Amino acid sequence: MKQPKIGVYICHCGGNISDTVDVAKVKEAILKCKGVEICETYEYMCSKPGQDMIERNIKERGLNRVVVASCSPRMHLDTFRGAAKRAELNPYLLEMANIREQCSWVHDNKESATDKATSLIRGLAERVKYLEPLETKTMPVNRDVAVIGGGIAGVLASIELADKGYKVYLIERNPSIGGHMAQLSKTFPTLDCSACILTPKMVYVSQNPNIEIVDMAEPTAVNGSPGNYELTLKIRPRYVDKEKCISCGECAKVCPSKKWSRHEEGLTQEKAIYLPFKQAVPNAYVIDRDQCLWFNKGVCKVCEKFCKGKAIKFDQREETRQLNVGAIVACTGYQQLDPSISKEVLDGWDVFSQYSFGLHPDVVTNLQFERLMLQGMHRPSNGKPPKKVAFVLCVGSRMDRGIQYCCKIGCMNAIKHSLLLLKAFPEAEPWVFYTDIRAHGKGYEEFYSKARDHNVKFIRGRVAEVVPNGDDLILRAEDTILGKHIEEHFDMVVLSPALLPNSGTGQLAKMLGIDLGPDNFFLERHHKLRPVDTKMEGIYLAGCAVGPKDIRETTVETMATASKVATFLGKGEISLSPEKAHIIPEKCNNCGECVKYCPYKAIESTSKGIAINSISCTGCGICIPKCPTEAIDLKQSTDAELTAQIQGTCEGDGDKPRILAFLEKTTAYGSADLAGQTRIQYTPDVRIIAVPSAGRVGLKHVLTAFASGADGLIFIEGDDSPFREDGVRDHVNSMKKELGKFGVESLRLVSMTTTLPQFDKVVNLFQTFDERVTKMGRIAPEKRKKILEALGGGK
Amino acid sequence: MSDPSFIEEIKKMPGGGNILDCIQCGICAGSCHARFAMDYSPMQVLKMAHLGLKKEVLSSSTIWICASCYTCASRCPRGLNIPAIMSGFKNMAMKSNVPAPIALKPKFHKTFTEIVQKYGRMHEPELQVKLTEKTDVGALMHNASLGLRMLRKGKISLQASKLNPETHFTEIVKNVLKEEAPKK
Repeated sequence: MKQPKIGVYICHCGGNISDTVDVAKVKEAILKCKGVEICETYEYMCSKPGQDMIERNIKERGLNRVVVASCSPRMHLDTFRGAAKRAELNPYLLEMANIREQCSWVHDNKESATDKATSLIRGLAERVKYLEPLETKTMPVNRDVAVIGGGIAGVLASIELADKGYKVYLIERNPSIGGHMAQLSKTFPTLDCSACILTPKMVYVSQNPNIEIVDMAEPTAVNGSPGNYELTLKIRPRYVDKEKCISCGECAKVCPSKKWSRHEEGLTQEKAIYLPFKQAVPNAYVIDRDQCLWFNKGVCKVCEKFCKGKAIKFDQREETRQLNVGAIVACTGYQQLDPSISKEVLDGWDVFSQYSFGLHPDVVTNLQFERLMLQGMHRPSNGKPPKKVAFVLCVGSRMDRGIQYCCKIGCMNAIKHSLLLLKAFPEAEPWVFYTDIRAHGKGYEEFYSKARDHNVKFIRGRVAEVVPNGDDLILRAEDTILGKHIEEHFDMVVLSPALLPNSGTGQLAKMLGIDLGPDNFFLERHHKLRPVDTKMEGIYLAGCAVGPKDIRETTVETMATASKVATFLGKGEISLSPEKAHIIPEKCNNCGECVKYCPYKAIESTSKGIAINSISCTGCGICIPKCPTEAIDLKQSTDAELTAQIQGTCEGDGDKPRILAFLEKTTAYGSADLAGQTRIQYTPDVRIIAVPSAGRVGLKHVLTAFASGADGLIFIEGDDSPFREDGVRDHVNSMKKELGKFGVESLRLVSMTTTLPQFDKVVNLFQTFDERVTKMGRIAPEKRKKILEALGGGK
Repeated sequence: MSDPSFIEEIKKMPGGGNILDCIQCGICAGSCHARFAMDYSPMQVLKMAHLGLKKEVLSSSTIWICASCYTCASRCPRGLNIPAIMSGFKNMAMKSNVPAPIALKPKFHKTFTEIVQKYGRMHEPELQVKLTEKTDVGALMHNASLGLRMLRKGKISLQASKLNPETHFTEIVKNVLKEEAPKK
């Protein structure tokens, strides 16, 4: 670059810095650095006079680079870059040295603090020489949205977005939308009829010109980038023409093949050609290929003969369809744990076979109970009204080995079912066996009280077993409050099975590039602050796909999701930070290694070569050290900038070890700032350099650091980074292996991940690592020379 | 009277490490086939243990009646090894000389162990004789007829089996007993 003219500004921060750091001495040292045109100290750099000074100097002295040495860039980077902008200097040419939170506030020895401040500023002064002017770009986005999952969450999300003016593709893999809510009889605590609140929404969805329902469809691939996604769908054939079918039902009347109804939870049968349920949307019949005699044996086709509308089309084929959308909402819902005597044995313990589900027709799930309510409550065994009914909560739930989480809706459903049972049969005896009654929502405790008032029996004790006893069932449990063993006969036992993410959740997560949590539901970006975002920009979540919840909570969450989508797409364009990775074409040999490592799927191997999608790329830099030909670089954290900063920070003599700590710039760096805010003291031997990710730092930089005077290196990654714990460890271990060639001990490198508040963990690592490196002693100058030669004689 | 060190003692027992995980759901009590004969249910014993009520736990009949059938442990949502914990309590009770509500039980365990330590194997006739009160004619008669049937079927023998000396079993037992003896 042309002659650097660097302005360095050292803030006193009203004594916060200058009481510990001798700013005059630092100024003297910095003025000796090549390229530094001017170095000033001032009481409050962030004040108007402070900022004016920067602007004035830029204009009058022709400064082309600025370093402000003061507080953390997380405080005032934008403030000072604003000053640069006003002086018509590209804001990316200004950077900050953190000599407060990470220096004056955490060291009390004035001499060491001053020395460290000088090193840090020198590092920045060297770094800024290599900065380039950058511009934020804007990119137009596609204003269509794909909603994957047609249950209540998907239905409401589509309506919200359509009403906001977006075109929505509502993608559902079953022949009808509605999800599990369409199977419910009444909802708690208001005892609203479920279909009565759901079906109008379903109809609205079908009639709204902004919403297109794509039924029988499943995603098979997701490509593109935030704001411009390409979603490929596989659409299964219905074998019925939706437009022509009038749902008269003549086909089903004559169909000879029967199957268990999915909508009725396997309680009753329907024909191979069936309408999912009366209020289905789209309201058209569909042929179950596995049960149809034509597809299995080549005979029949009677339905075709009787179809009045000539709607039956046996020659329909599976289709592929591609949708271009700007954002995707994943709301694929839940499935219930099947409490059958299962082959599934968790860790050698069979956890729900003792409830005899599948051994007696009168042991049913709560969802089956919903269907029985709608069919006219009866015992499946003999069709008679049930008198004594046991409700067994927590089947397969709240188990350390197995499904740990609570299903959230079991208690309320059991209370609801007890009351509905009593309404149908006032002489009935509902017994609810619970471990805890969770009546957490609005109106729930009152609903529970109502059940108590109606003399529903509540027994506190997790049910031990349910045993078929000919016509009825025997249930055994302990009434833990009385300390009494209970053995009672029941006409019917209703189980509350655990809730699981719906089948296919894992595959969809992989396709979308998002994570699953430890409970295997979709993982939200942040538990409190970003509950409907995901790791990927432009992909959002809603409903039980994130975790079990009731309908009200789903609705509230879905409103939030729709709002987030609208914020993302609303301006019609998104602004892109220029701090992204890019390929250097002359150096790239198309090996494709980088493609494997990108956590955001932002690198593609195309016919024209390797390309990094500048929209999907988040600038983490994890790909860079993986490239065998050094063909990737990262704006605002270029190889030259990082190398210069390392060299500048390591310069200097003395017998104290110099430790460089590469901290991921958001969470890990933030944690160190937090340490500073609490004024916790640690060794000044540690000098922190912010990096987009610990994975951006490669062997080359490690060797540069050792050659330049460092004796130990720390790598700290934020625990919310896509570079998980094992990723950082593996990365650092691979570099440790190479150090042996230079006689540098592998113990001179250490890595860790941290959350933002765990600054004590960070400080502890600084202290113990410093002790370790001090014991090992400084690296001998001969070794440093050898490394320098290996690097190519140094720059 | 609550003994705060009781929990620490339990955590050191094999199978006792996660005793505090118990959420008192009661599935162990509901499943226990012998619960009807116990004064406290297994769940109540665990609760008392949580509260440090060492005396109550060690003097309960529960710990002695537990037959280690493992039905409770197979269903426990927190994975507590209840039979192992009960076993541990049995040992604690015997070591601290807490009188058991069923006097026969500790006597049974003690006698059983002594015979196994002697021969390396169980010798049922000897166990039976040592356990039955000589004045209990009814029990003696009943046991005699059972014993004869078992003898005929070859399930027991009048002579105790001799262990292969190469196993060094008696030496091992001696060493273990020496180590476990209360230190001076």
